[in-house]
Amino acid sequence: MALMPKRVKWRKSQRGKLRGRAQRGNTISFGEYGIQTMENVRITGRQIEAGRIAATHYLRREGRVFIRIFPHKPVSSKPLETRMGKGKGDAAYWVSCVREGQIIFELSGVEESVARNALARVAHKMPCRCRFVVRRHGL
Amino acid sequence: MEVNTLVAESRTKLGTRDAREQRKRGRIPAVIYGHGESSVSISLDWHEVEVALAHGARTLDLKLEGKALQLLIKAVQHDHMDARPVHLDLMRVNLDERVKVGVSIELRGTPKGIAEGGVLDQLLNEIEVECLVTQIPETMHPFVTDLGVGDSLLIKDLEFPAGVVPLLDPEERVAMVRVVAEEAEETEAEEGEEGAGAEPERIGRVRKDEEGEGASS
Repeated sequence: MALMPKRVKWRKSQRGKLRGRAQRGNTISFGEYGIQTMENVRITGRQIEAGRIAATHYLRREGRVFIRIFPHKPVSSKPLETRMGKGKGDAAYWVSCVREGQIIFELSGVEESVARNALARVAHKMPCRCRFVVRRHGL
Repeated sequence: MEVNTLVAESRTKLGTRDAREQRKRGRIPAVIYGHGESSVSISLDWHEVEVALAHGARTLDLKLEGKALQLLIKAVQHDHMDARPVHLDLMRVNLDERVKVGVSIELRGTPKGIAEGGVLDQLLNEIEVECLVTQIPETMHPFVTDLGVGDSLLIKDLEFPAGVVPLLDPEERVAMVRVVAEEAEETEAEEGEEGAGAEPERIGRVRKDEEGEGASS
């Protein structure tokens, strides 16, 4: 099932804008390898789940996958064939607002060649350009 | 560990705008502090710094206005893509001084527990150590080939060079080979059961008319 919050304070939110660059969450923290976004995008819960499944199927229980983003923001839409007006539609899906530089997936416990292949499959499920990154040892 | 000699220029103008101009000119802004003296803002050649960092340098020999300085690289700030250094913090040190620094841990080998169905988990990526400035290790490379399923590598199992003292609890885990839980298949099985129409619970006071709306939709 696609990721979404268990409890929320407000059911609907305004659209907002996606500006700037990732000032945090832009370094590898848990694993050894990761993928980093190169654009500002909204990633839906379904896309995150598709990425997770793509990685776990390729790894066949080897290694460990870390998901660094969560879809906190609801996106509303109106049902089909509905007249305009009568208020804002219900939340249709949930998104994570991701800025350029954010690490979205991390991997550990596998060799680099395996990690590259697994994360390439994850990147294909994402709505943006991504790049493969390796943990920096030292300064 | 290599010690590199770089030529530094002192900066008279400070602030974000000047720092950006320095970077455009191929220089990295940096600051020198420590030993109770006042801090000095300098700039360094970008390429020389990148080469020094790529070679694992932890100290730098600088020439600033004819004076030779020995400095410890205390911190490096990187850009938003975590790719290029944008600022350095340099601390004045004596070569006979003991300092506290973080040393990264890079595991080597494939544990035997992986063949038995385990997964290697690295729990500690960096360890704080105390040592002489001249003895800072670049990276720790412990071998994990002997770890079976359920076995752990502890800090006391690491071999530190002479004069390097770890500052963490010796019983703390660095890595372990854990048994893979059968979660993945279960969660996939659950996917079909739960529908996409599930809605999160509201926190706090909910108006009556909203409650009715939620129930009807």
